[in-house]
Order: sequence, then C-alpha cells, then structure tokens
Amino acid sequence: MKHITKAYGPLVANDDISLTLNKGEILAVVGENGAGKSTLMKILYGLESADSGEILINGEVRRIRSPYDAIACGIGMVQQHFMLFPPFTAAENIVYGHEPKSRTVFFNRREAVKSVKALCTQYGMYIDPDVKVADCPVGLQQRIEILKVLYQGADIIIFDEPSAVLTPQEVTELLKTIKDLKRAGKSIILITHKLSEVMAVADRVMVMRLGNLIKVMQREETSIEEMSFLMVGHTLKTREIQKIQQGRQILSVEHLTLAGTAGKPVIDDVNINVRGGEIVGIAGVSGNGQSELIQCLTGIRKFQSGRIIINGTDVSNCPVQENRDSGCACIPEDRYFWGNAAEATLVENSIMSHYKKTHLMKHGIFNKKNTCTFANDIMAEFDVRYTSDRQAIQELSGGNVQKLIVAREIMQHSPFLIAAEPTRGIDIGAIDFIHGKLLEKREQGDAILLISSELTEIFALSDRIYVMYEGRIAGEFTREEATIDKVGLLMMGGALDG
Amino acid sequence: MNNLYLAAVINTTFRYTTPVLFAALGSLFCTKAAVFNVALEGQLLAASFVAIVANYYTNNVLISLLAGVAAGAFVAWIVAIFQIKWKVRDMVVGTAMNLLVQSVTAFLMQIIYGSRGTVQGFGMVALTKINLSFLKFSPFLYRMFEDLSTIDYLGYIVAVLIFIYFKKTVSGFHHLSVGISGTAADSLGVKSQRIQIRAVVISGILCGFGGVVHAMGNVTVFAENMTSGRGFIAMGAASMAQSHPLVAIGSSLFFGTMLSLSKTLQGYINSYFTEAIPYLCTVLAITVYGVIVTMQKRKPAMKA
Ligand SMILES: Nc1ncnc2c1ncn2[C@@H]1O[C@H](COP(=O)(O)OP(=O)(O)OP(=O)(O)O)[C@@H](O)[C@H]1O
Ligand SMILES: [Mg+2]
Repeated sequence: MKHITKAYGPLVANDDISLTLNKGEILAVVGENGAGKSTLMKILYGLESADSGEILINGEVRRIRSPYDAIACGIGMVQQHFMLFPPFTAAENIVYGHEPKSRTVFFNRREAVKSVKALCTQYGMYIDPDVKVADCPVGLQQRIEILKVLYQGADIIIFDEPSAVLTPQEVTELLKTIKDLKRAGKSIILITHKLSEVMAVADRVMVMRLGNLIKVMQREETSIEEMSFLMVGHTLKTREIQKIQQGRQILSVEHLTLAGTAGKPVIDDVNINVRGGEIVGIAGVSGNGQSELIQCLTGIRKFQSGRIIINGTDVSNCPVQENRDSGCACIPEDRYFWGNAAEATLVENSIMSHYKKTHLMKHGIFNKKNTCTFANDIMAEFDVRYTSDRQAIQELSGGNVQKLIVAREIMQHSPFLIAAEPTRGIDIGAIDFIHGKLLEKREQGDAILLISSELTEIFALSDRIYVMYEGRIAGEFTREEATIDKVGLLMMGGALDG
Repeated sequence: MNNLYLAAVINTTFRYTTPVLFAALGSLFCTKAAVFNVALEGQLLAASFVAIVANYYTNNVLISLLAGVAAGAFVAWIVAIFQIKWKVRDMVVGTAMNLLVQSVTAFLMQIIYGSRGTVQGFGMVALTKINLSFLKFSPFLYRMFEDLSTIDYLGYIVAVLIFIYFKKTVSGFHHLSVGISGTAADSLGVKSQRIQIRAVVISGILCGFGGVVHAMGNVTVFAENMTSGRGFIAMGAASMAQSHPLVAIGSSLFFGTMLSLSKTLQGYINSYFTEAIPYLCTVLAITVYGVIVTMQKRKPAMKA
C-alpha cells in the first residue's frame, strides 16, 4: 500500500500511509483507539475506498473497490465483528460466496462438507462441518472465520483485533494457528491492543497514532515498553492498589435462579455480595451465565427465584428504571447491542440515564446548552476522540464508543456499578485510565461488580473474585488467595482438591 | 346444504385463495431478504387495473396478463428504489404507494372510461380455463375444480418452486443469508442490496399474477379499489406461515375460505357483517397465532 489517505470530513483517519507486507510474514499493527487501523484495513479489503494512494500486490497495481475484488486478489479479512450467519452450519458459512454447485444452480452441500473437511485436515484446524454457528462458542466461530478466509484462497489474511473476545486458552490456540498459517506461506496482518501477542508472533510491528504512521520496527529490535511509549506518547506506571476500609453491603444476590430453554438453569442458585469500597470480579469463560446475570441485575430479564438487593432496596424483578433509581449503573458487555443508539448523536448518547437531572431537563424540556456542555465535559474527561458532538455515535472507532459508555456510567456516581468487559477493544493507555477511574470510584466507597473474560483485568482490580462455571459460582477467592492457575482451572470446569 | 353446494363453496375458495397466495409468496420472498414490503396491496391493484386496461384495448388474454404482471413489477421496482436504495422507511413507502395506486387508478378510470366505479364488458376476455373433463365421473369433484384458470394452479406450483429455491439453490441460499445479515453478505462479496431489490421486484411479479387473476379469473371486471385489503390479508397469511412457502399455502387457503364464506353467507346474514368476516378473521387468527407462539416460547422456561 502506498500513500494511502482517507478523510472523514475534517478528520483524517489515514494520512499518507505506506506499508509493505512480505510473503510469509506476520505484521502487527498497533496504535491507540481511533488511530485509523481498522480504516486502513477496510481500505485494503475494499470495504472503504481511499481518497488517494494505491495498492500493489506482487508488484502490480490493483484496484480494490469491493470485498469481491479483494477476495479475487487473494486478500481475506477476519473482522472485529464476525461476519457469520448464525442459523447456518459451519460448512455453509465457510463455502459462502464460493459454493460448490451441481447442475449450475443447485447448492451441493455434500461437496461443501467434503471440501471443508479436507481444508480442516490441510491446516490442522478441526471443526464439525454440520454444527450450527449459533451453537458454537466464540473461539470456534473465529476458527470458522479463519477457515472461510482460507477456503476463499487468501494469501494475505487480515485479523482485526481477533483476540478481543477470546478466552486466554482460545488466544493461545489462535496465536498458534497464526504461526501455522505463516509456515504455510500466508502473509498476515494482525491488529491488536495486546502487546504481548505482538511479541509472541509478529515479525515486524507498525505503530500508528492519529492517522499517522509513527514507526515500523523489527520485533527483535523493540520491546513492549517502547511500543507502548510510541502508542501513547508517555510511559505507563504500574499501579499499586491500597487496601481500604470496606463499607456497608451494597449488593446482595441470594439464591438467584434463572431457567434456561433446554431445561437446564442458566443461573443456578447464585449468591453474590459486594460491599462499598470493594471491587468484586466475576471470572469465567463467556457464556457461563454472566450475560444473564447482568440482565437479571439490571432488571432487563425476569428470573424465577431468588432475591436481588441493591443499596438496601429489594429490586428483584423490578423494572430497569427502579433498578437504576435505587443506585445501579451498568457498563453493558455488548456496547453495540445494549450500550448505545447507533444513529443517535454523541450528545444524545451521553445523556442517556442522566437526562432526568434538573439541570439537563425541566418540565420535560431539555436544556440544550447544558446537555451539550455535559456531554462535552464527560467526553473530554474520558478522552473520547470525536469530530463533532452532533455526529452519530456509529461513526466513532470501536474503542471510542466504549470510552463514551464507560464515561456515561461512571459519571452516574451511583453507589453500585456493574462493569462488564469495561475495557474490551480499547488501547493500553485508555485501559490504564479506565482502571484508574474504577479504582477512584472504589476509593469513594462505591461498590463495583467487574465481569470480564480478561483474567489479567480481573486480577489487576478485584479485591475478591468469584469464578462462574455453567451458571454456578464455582469458587470464591480473596485477592491474596487467588492465582491464575487456580482460577483458570475452575473456569474450565475443573475442581480444586484440598 | 347439499353436496354440490359445498363443492361450489370450495371452488370459490380456490378462486379467492389465488391472489392471496401469490401476494403472500411475494411478501415472504421479501421478508426472507429482510425487506418488509407494505406495498403488496398497491402492487395487486396496479396489476388488476393495467390488465383490464390492456384487455379493453386488445381483448387478448396473454397481452393482458403480461401487462398486469409488468405493472406489478413496475410498482414494486419503485418501492425497491425508495425503500432499499434511498432507505426510506418501509411503512412510509408502502402506505404512500398503496394510496398512490388507489388514486391513480381511479383517476385513470375517469379518463379512459369517462366514469368511476366499475368497468365491465367491452368484449373483454377472461383467463383461459382448464376443464378437467376426466373428473366428470364425480359431479362433486368436477364442480370443485370447475373453471379454474391455469394461474390458479400456478400459485401452488410457484409455492413449491420457491420452497426448492430456498432449500436447494445457491441463489436461494444467498437470499436467505441477506435476510440474516446484510453486512455479513456484503463483506463476503455478495451484494445484499441487489438481492433485496430483486426480491421486491419478484414480489411485484407474483402480485402481478395475483392481481390479474383477481380481475380476470371469474368475471372480467375492474372496480375502484377492488383488491380491498387483500395485500394486507396476504401479509397476515405470510406471517402466520412464518414465511415458509409451503405453510403459506395452508394459511392462504384459510384466508381464502374466510373470503369465500363472507361471499356465500351474504344471502343469510347481514352483509355488513359478512363483509367484515375476512378482516375479523385476520385479526383473530394473528392474535391466536401470536398467543400460541408466545406460549411455546415460554413453556420450556416454565418446566424448569
Ligand atoms: N464512517 C465514519 N464516519 C466518520 N468518521 C469515521 C468513520 N469511521 C471511522 N471514523 C473515524 O476515523 C478514525 C479512525 O477510526 P478506526 O476505526 O480506523 O480506528 P481504530 O484504529 O481501528 O481504533 P480502535 O482501536 O478503537 O478500533 C476515528 O477517529 C473514527 O472516529
Ligand atoms: Mg478498530
């Protein structure tokens, strides 16, 4: 790629960027949120078009106007949000777009299954071709995505934050797969916020900031410290967490049970309590009841038995508004589904759940000036990168959407906060900042329930850790007792002896 | 009620079913590509009207049929451009189009025939009928299938073809995938907009057949707003069938029965009430159906 430039209105997302990728090489692209990494890759994959610049493949200039062109050029992309069809089977998803046909119009599914099996053996990545994607855990879905790209015959494979949604075990597996692909002669571009992954697999690293290419380095010649310095512009200090006096009980969940569809409960007799001044982590592989737990806690979902008490009020099966009124704020796990209204402006998204405050609204009429000031203030405080407060939130980069939601919920100053995957997809600088904010909230004596599939995050912040497995609390540790090994074992359904 | 009378009622039911079935197939064809087409009514009415106008000038069945189908497709194409290309809300496009077709046909009637109301006669021809003389051994069966047109039978064949299309063909597979996630399809080089536009135009063609049968199946006639809500009934039929083409045959037959009952009962009960029957049944059926579906969804949760 040579001299690629792309602007969205006044904002230059990519400013004259040139990059080369050699055959059989892994190139890592790192950079803070909104640096323009996804934009650059979307241009390469034909999802966006560049304002200027050209793309050369094997020395030839190619015009890539759509993913169709990209696929024809041997470029494949595993996107940040999976592009799968949940009701279809794995095989159907993999051959999609290049289906084997019989008598020119009919879809030969038997042939599809056969070639998928062959593909699996060739690359040593196994899946059941007949399984429905909807029934697959995220890690498997990603494997299907990768197989799909391989099936299309891609030589260049782009991964956009592939590990953001995976469990640690799945990440290890993914990194191994990436290395195998390299050995098979594929060239790989890997976008990630996790610098340890870069050090583990990459040959070269490219650092981006504010739409500019800062530096390209050989992996051997750099270090995590140097990369994070280049990304963030300053060095990050490690944090010391002081023990503080814990306050009164803020959240207590008693014998919470939620029935599932298959006859097995999704949440099974769960007891949790959180005190003021305490961060309690829930560790677990995603899909073990955490999502449902959040939905019960916030009042989105009705449960069959048990009690939830927030800040002294029994809010079991109460409407969401009452839950919030009694002092619960929530950073939802899926920022796109629960967290924002994609087409609404930044101001509108910022004042959600704040709008009843008297300085923002009087007699049902918004005070326009105050709402704008409020939105701008919280976005400034949390360093959300945007061009105009009237812009639709869907135009922000993934990490910036997340920052805005975190800002909105922390600024509730509620006694109880649910933080589900609060740092999913954000850069190390911002992660550090948000961790700081959560700890600040803890110091003010508020209670925080942290739900994260990122074990390092759980360990970095939590005073106490619950492990959730198949809808049950499989174990409870204090900060001192917990080790990665013990927690990891319980997460996988193992048992601790002794 | 004697037997032959029952056969006659069934015969009417088949006739009333055809337009509903075609429109229901059109509806589900769109739904499967994640397009909510509200303009079925307008597509039907336009087809009926244009078929009659062509018939008036040419007295030729084939030309009338083609003209009607083309009209349905044309209306659908406009809907597709607004709704899919320019992303105007489905309800707005659909309602506007339905009203537009209603008033334009009334206006053109005034211009072409000098009067509004009904157009009939002028040597206009009806659709070719298939007479199954081999059924003559049984008067009941013979009466049941008497004087049905080719297109009445075509409806059921098309339903089966659509079923096969979704189940077996690559193109149908892509169609379904667009209904699940347009962005995913786009990112894999399958152009979702094109598939959606095609789906709407095909729904127009289907409604075209429906509209033509409606106007030329029995007595060849056009009356102002003669489709009187059949497009909406068809939407009910399609959603009751959960967009399954074969089940849609069943649900369309149900609504066909209601329409024919409302006609046959007219002699016995107050006609204001009988005319309301199909619409009451639509509401009722959808309510009952909705309740059943919700119960089913809740059941496993209750058991545990
Ligand atoms: N459709 C759009 N309209 C306007 N601005 C956009 C649009 N898409 C992206 N941007 C802007 O372009 C910039 C770069 O976005 P991009 O998604 O490439 O960032 P990124 O490096 O992938 O960040 P992240 O790590 O958060 O995913 C951001 O500031 C974003 O707000
Ligand atoms: Mg991104």
